[in-house]
Amino acid sequence: MSAPISHTYLRTRVSVMAEQLYSPQHLEALFQTPLEHLGQGFSFDQFQNRELSSTTLNRMTEKALIRTLIHELAVLLRPLESPSRSILVNWIRKFELYNLKAIIRGKLQKLSFEQIKEDLHELPGFLALPHEGLLRTESVLELLRQLEEGTYSDIARQARRVYEEKNEPFSLDAAIDRSYYTGLLRCVNSSDGSDKSSLHELLGALIDQQNLIWLLRYRFGYGLSASETYFLLIPAGWKLYREHVKELVNKESFEQVIKALKGHYADLLVDVDNVFDAECVLESHTAVYARHCLRFSSSAVARALAYLVLREMDLKKLYAIIQGKLLQLDDGLIRTAAMMGGPGTGLSHHV
Amino acid sequence: MFSPLPMRHVMIQVMTEELSLVSLTLAELSVFSPDHRPIYEDRFPHIPGGQFREYYHQGKSRLEKITRHIPLSPQVRLQSIQVVDERKLRDTNEWLGEVWQRCSILEEALRHLREEEQLIRQLEQTLENFENLNIDLNLLREERLFLDLRIGMVPRTNVSQLQEALGLSHYLLFVYMEHENNAHVVVVGPRGEREEELGSVLDTAGFHTLPIPPELRDEPENIRRELDERRHRVEQDCQLHRETLKTCSTELRNDLEEARRTLIMAEPFVRMDTAARSSGYLSIISGWIPAREIQRTRESLSDVLVNPFRLEERKPSREERPLVPSCLPEHWLMSPFATLVKQYGVPRYGEVDPTALFAITFIAMFGMMFGDVGHGLTIVLVAWLFRWKLRSFTPFAVCIGLSATLFGFLYGAVFGYEEMFHAVWMPPLSDPLYMLGVALRWGIGYLLMITLISIHNRLMEGDVTRAVFDSNGLVSIVLYLTVLYGLWNHYTHGVFGLAPLLISVTALLVLLAYRLIETDAPPGERMLVALIETFETVTGYISNTLSFLRVAAFSFNHVALTIAVFQLVSMLESTQGQWLMVILGNVFILVLEGAIVTIQALRLEYYEGFSRFYSGDGKEFRPLRLETVKGV
Repeated sequence: MSAPISHTYLRTRVSVMAEQLYSPQHLEALFQTPLEHLGQGFSFDQFQNRELSSTTLNRMTEKALIRTLIHELAVLLRPLESPSRSILVNWIRKFELYNLKAIIRGKLQKLSFEQIKEDLHELPGFLALPHEGLLRTESVLELLRQLEEGTYSDIARQARRVYEEKNEPFSLDAAIDRSYYTGLLRCVNSSDGSDKSSLHELLGALIDQQNLIWLLRYRFGYGLSASETYFLLIPAGWKLYREHVKELVNKESFEQVIKALKGHYADLLVDVDNVFDAECVLESHTAVYARHCLRFSSSAVARALAYLVLREMDLKKLYAIIQGKLLQLDDGLIRTAAMMGGPGTGLSHHV
Repeated sequence: MFSPLPMRHVMIQVMTEELSLVSLTLAELSVFSPDHRPIYEDRFPHIPGGQFREYYHQGKSRLEKITRHIPLSPQVRLQSIQVVDERKLRDTNEWLGEVWQRCSILEEALRHLREEEQLIRQLEQTLENFENLNIDLNLLREERLFLDLRIGMVPRTNVSQLQEALGLSHYLLFVYMEHENNAHVVVVGPRGEREEELGSVLDTAGFHTLPIPPELRDEPENIRRELDERRHRVEQDCQLHRETLKTCSTELRNDLEEARRTLIMAEPFVRMDTAARSSGYLSIISGWIPAREIQRTRESLSDVLVNPFRLEERKPSREERPLVPSCLPEHWLMSPFATLVKQYGVPRYGEVDPTALFAITFIAMFGMMFGDVGHGLTIVLVAWLFRWKLRSFTPFAVCIGLSATLFGFLYGAVFGYEEMFHAVWMPPLSDPLYMLGVALRWGIGYLLMITLISIHNRLMEGDVTRAVFDSNGLVSIVLYLTVLYGLWNHYTHGVFGLAPLLISVTALLVLLAYRLIETDAPPGERMLVALIETFETVTGYISNTLSFLRVAAFSFNHVALTIAVFQLVSMLESTQGQWLMVILGNVFILVLEGAIVTIQALRLEYYEGFSRFYSGDGKEFRPLRLETVKGV
């Protein structure tokens, strides 16, 4: 298909698929639905299987939800060619990186092949990670050597240094996460002019959200220095520009950071006093922006990406509801986990 | 020859202790394809050999990694076939683990040496760079009281972010050189409490300290010498490791070959996977075997098994047909054509195997489009001379060469010369309309044959409705033939004829009615879809028939190209020049037109032929066998 035709097709496809995104009422209806019927939306029928433990069901549900998302991505990819195609493919690589982290963590903890394999997501063939080969490695060093030979050679080199010099998986995870977003940014930068600005704004909003959460977590959760925190953040956002981020990482407490925020984010986070609530507020804000992008963006690829972002958020919420029901948690707790009542209404205030 | 071999579903009941032996025997026979469906799950709930499979996969992975360092012979000779029990497989796996440990240590050491080598290269670059700087470099090396100064490398991609991050700790970063993916940097800042913080950031950013050699200021030559010595040492170490590996290879090769044999003999049971199920002492194996091999299988099992066994066989049910693997008889002459057919897909079980049809029609069409005795014999000669390179494709090239030769005799052409002997039939350009008519008749015949095959395939699937009413069904063929008859009437007598008109309109309406019933949509959309699809069926037949005109067109093209070559020859004066032009012109025709004609013939086969009757979504019959050539 030529680009205008494929983009018209993609826009139509996205509009049709956007119909299945959850409204608050839909989410409430899902919350009220018995567990046995919750799997209908993603072709999962194991909730009535009494032989499966809740842990197994939990894992199966997560895998089924990711499969749904990947299947929808595959539908959206059909009319696309590079570089637009590579943007969506790179976005879904986050699951490949989850797998990579799971394999590395598993190897560090000396887990068995089966134990690690159970935690991995089933991914489509167009994602490059050679799971079987990596799983069969017999030490972290061998794993890193094998990674150095593949698509993830840049991550592997950095991971090796981090591993050999610090030997802590956190730094490795942070390096991988950072590399994921910078890779996505590179893809957006090489996209067509018509798509670039819309994609930059959408990705910028995602990066702002991620940067702010990481900043709070690294600085006040893990106690990293200002300079190390800044280094681990993604080098380009949308409204959180560099100088502002530098000012924020230099603050000594959570409250100071919130007070120092400017513009839009200052209004959003004014009443927030912990990382979880901040995450909820920022995610809601990103969702609002993604919905705007989904309806009004001039770029079909940006619309597709916005759809995927929103769909992933929805599936996470659905997963939280299922998980809560499986574990027979308190309704309030489930609502908080599924971000149904807004921030400050749930877990953080109860605990 | 024209369809996959008849298959039988078999269920072999054996004693659990003999499962491995049965797997190995079936692999030796190479006639059994496992059926992994859980059809006997209720009576035989257990899948035996979980640990066995784990040992196998781990062992196989280890052997593959080891063979990157210690290559083994490409072919394996199995002196004796023996059942591999779990204990032996475990021991083999453990031993392979030990060998891999040794290899892995060597691999890591070699990696370090490569890194060291790279560092030396970077140092040389640094040295070269520093020589051009007019500063006392000892100042950089010595400990300073108030100044924290570090020199090193950092991945280029991290420089700008690191520069800004270090700024937050009141440090400065300067890039003085860029080499490969690394930037050489100087980091400088005040000594004090932030030194530790700096170290952490630098580590995270992949900073690699470059030691400044002490003699840098006084005798740069000494440093070069020292770097050379270091490089020499690295090379020596590399050599030492390679020697160790070589010694290892000599010492271990035989044992590794033995381990490979063990894994090969263990593989059949592993590949059984869920096709083997057990319940206590009794086990079953289910799968597919060609009907003609049942007796041989039964006899072989009787020969090797100590305990009694039971082999039950049945024809595949209608619902199972899509799952039945298609076993296509192999023949050296048909092998290259089968490969080309598989490019399109594998025939479903019960469908007509188009290989023979493809071979005959492809060879004929190629010859018709490329008819020339000289060109044909050249193709045969080249194919024969390069048979070592063409391998199984040699018969393919020889056949199309012979076909071109045969048509060359019919057309009376040798390297484009048409006056060397009288054409057995006629040169293509002597009566182009007649040639186009022949091509059209060929196309009509081909399409009729293909449609009949399509009807046969539908009937074999038990889908009578589609066999009659679908776009390549009986009604379509009636429509096609009556329209052709009507057109022929019109061409010869000036009228289409009432009977063909009535029959074709009725057939058209039947097709439309079938589409209306078949389409699942609201009334308006249903009508639209049915109309478009019926129209497409009619236009499809017309365009497909006309597509065969290209068979004649390319035979004209072939002659036209030779005429062009002779025209160029006549423009040259020297005899050598003329001969050179004849040779080059013919080479050009052989290569360029030969490729085009091959593609056109393939196109006619795939698009006009296969797409009408051949789903190509069958499962290839891949029997259990002892993998003695590829892989482990």
